[in-house]
Amino acid sequence: MYIKALSCISPQHTFDGDFFKFEPIDYFSKQVEAIEPNYNELIPKGLLRRMGKGVRMGIGTGITLLKEYPNVEGIIIGTANGGLEDCVKFLNQIVEYKEGTLTPTNFVQSTPNAVAANLALMTNNICYNSTHVNTGLAFESALMDAFLTLEEQAGPLLVGSLEEISSYNINIDTLKGWVKSDDETLSLLTKSNTKGSVPGEGACMFIIDKSKENAQSFIRDFSQITTKDENVLFDFFDRFLKNNNLSLEEVDGFMLGLNGDSNCNYFYDLFINRYIQKETILTFKNCVGEYPTSMSFAVWLSTELINGNNIKLVEYQAPKAKYQRILIYNHYFGLQHSFMIIEKPI
Amino acid sequence: MELVELKEKLKVQIIEYLNLIDVKPSDINDDEPFFGGDLGLDSIDSLELVVLLEREYGIKIENPQEGRKVLIDINHMANYILENQN
Amino acid sequence: MDVFVTGFGVISALGCGVDENFNELKENQTGISKAIFFESSFVDVFPFGEVKKSTEELHQILDLTLNSSLTRTDLFALIATQEAIKMANLSREEVSSFETALITSSTVGGMVETDFLYEDSNLLSTGSPFLFSYGSGAHTQKLIEHFKFQGYTDTINTACSSSANAIMMGVKLIRSGKVKRAIVGGTDSLSKFTINGFNSLQILSKKNCSPFSSERDGLNLGEGAGYLVLESSEVVKDKKLYAKIIGYGNSNDAFHPTALSDDAKGVIDAMKKALISAKIKEDDIDFINMHGTATENNDRTEIIGIKEIFKKIPLFNSTKSYTGHTLAAAGSIEAIYSILSIQNNLLFKSLNSHNPIVYNPLFDSNIKNIDVKIIMSNSFGFGGNCSSLIISKI
Repeated sequence: MYIKALSCISPQHTFDGDFFKFEPIDYFSKQVEAIEPNYNELIPKGLLRRMGKGVRMGIGTGITLLKEYPNVEGIIIGTANGGLEDCVKFLNQIVEYKEGTLTPTNFVQSTPNAVAANLALMTNNICYNSTHVNTGLAFESALMDAFLTLEEQAGPLLVGSLEEISSYNINIDTLKGWVKSDDETLSLLTKSNTKGSVPGEGACMFIIDKSKENAQSFIRDFSQITTKDENVLFDFFDRFLKNNNLSLEEVDGFMLGLNGDSNCNYFYDLFINRYIQKETILTFKNCVGEYPTSMSFAVWLSTELINGNNIKLVEYQAPKAKYQRILIYNHYFGLQHSFMIIEKPI
Repeated sequence: MELVELKEKLKVQIIEYLNLIDVKPSDINDDEPFFGGDLGLDSIDSLELVVLLEREYGIKIENPQEGRKVLIDINHMANYILENQN
Repeated sequence: MDVFVTGFGVISALGCGVDENFNELKENQTGISKAIFFESSFVDVFPFGEVKKSTEELHQILDLTLNSSLTRTDLFALIATQEAIKMANLSREEVSSFETALITSSTVGGMVETDFLYEDSNLLSTGSPFLFSYGSGAHTQKLIEHFKFQGYTDTINTACSSSANAIMMGVKLIRSGKVKRAIVGGTDSLSKFTINGFNSLQILSKKNCSPFSSERDGLNLGEGAGYLVLESSEVVKDKKLYAKIIGYGNSNDAFHPTALSDDAKGVIDAMKKALISAKIKEDDIDFINMHGTATENNDRTEIIGIKEIFKKIPLFNSTKSYTGHTLAAAGSIEAIYSILSIQNNLLFKSLNSHNPIVYNPLFDSNIKNIDVKIIMSNSFGFGGNCSSLIISKI
């Protein structure tokens, strides 16, 4: 599968391209929020007025690509939670008004498939339309669906993810012990060794196709496993490498999902000790924080690095002029693990 | 409440409930149709307006037919409120 | 590559297990009634397709001690999956094989615990037992833990077409050779969140729903789960085969967030794609399990779509008149009912279709001793998501 075009809204200036011109924005806080563009050019006001942040970010990035590729043959979205804020608003209405007459908009916008549905509606596209919500692997599931869909029909496809921060997940994740209790310097997140991480948010969308014409990167393979056992995990990774006939020396950069959570860092530590040299480590959560579909940001960043766009300053980041092949390893709080190989298209 | 005053209040509430972007109360004419006109409201908005009537004016619209007779424009809605309040 | 159904399990308002469901369908006994276990102020207003088991009884079925972190959504999924695995005679090794995928779906997921969720998400508690149970994908983790799945897993949420799409995803994975076997389906339970949502859209009926009746005035919500074991021709060997999934199609109606278009474009396109994918003609369809929710909009549009595709309208019913609308579970539960029709040469009566908008003999009674070779099953969801599956006799 080739990535033809990409668009990203995140806590960095990724939507307008300034991300690669200046140093990344650093944050000192408990959570990092996405920087949104002015949507007036992108989304009709009649639709925009109903959209929560997650839906807006998904539509904003998606519609940007659909303008360039109006004839996609599938819209496939991954999101763990969809429009969470609307979900809480509706929930609060149920309690506050004791199941009385409630406003339907929050309910309608809270369904995770609202983004794929709105993108279809806005572009009058009746093609294949699906939404995957597999928590920390929701984006990977959307990619798998894209892979299978491309085996059966022509492309291109729009594939992507969105996630929003809301009081709902911050509060619940705090109770789970997934949020750091003190403000954190984002650029130093990957070196942090206290409990929890810094929640982030964002949307990344991609045009995915079978043909390599004008491709920006090539997704060679990806695989996922749900396990708490490192031996099972490493057996799985060894098989993944073997299936791809790949040795680790052939990888220029290892993009790791280090999120500074002392509870689950050991998977990354073991992975580093076992497989790689520290100089080849790349990180991304020190730009965008932790969220269930952050893997899509890793794919976005890897593609940009392969294209020769380099970030000015990211801790750990090895300054390398050209990346030919990047291997991504991410896990969501030590349970859902994901591997991906991204290459320069040849 | 005077009809004129009520209409102005209603316009502010509609903009708030429906989260209308870049619309000022003065942009909405009293006889401008809610549906099929420049306001561009749809069936979900009509349900939101039913909630507005109940929460702001204590008026319950139980069936959709009745809603269709009321939720036409500011004039119809304001008159209905005056007729049915207390 | 052929994809066979080698096992299935179901729990719904009609009962726990395939046998109980089949008996009620055969006897035309609806499961829709006043809810006993569900707590909501709407219990006295609307009838529901409630599973007539308490949460304690659901634990007992699974031989589990009362585990307070399992929601009804999780329990339904576990019960139906357990039955499906047993029917397909899968060994522990086969269930845990990397060649076995799990593709599940839910809309409400753990939000069924609305009151705990309210407290947890507003920091009014120190953390309820359901902290890890809320998300759409949470029930997937419970299935993985309980049955020790190790292969590819996925959770789909395309509203009311979710489990039809889960079945599609399973077939696609097997056809591509990525896996040899997939356990697919969906689960949903009655929740304040959903009932209040549907009520705010004014599409719930105060009577037992009447699909395709000119007097229909809305749907009834139901709950339950349906799971199927799909296996590739490579691994079925001499196993008992119940049906084949031969085609599928999905389209978006691209019209409205909660209603289908007057010209039924998404509905028509999904059925067309399914026929093309099954490599059959429309005359080959013997029977359609319709989405048939009994809302004014759905039934009118679905009939418009059917008339466009079929020169002669096949026999059809809506089993939502038995179970209510089970949301994410509807597509897989109805696929299972379709397989029961194929297995038993029996089509079930569609209930309450007084003064129908289009006549069809199944509005009067069951049809027995009928050779049902190929079935179409439709599922449509909010956001214009339209799916159609084609299931055939072996």
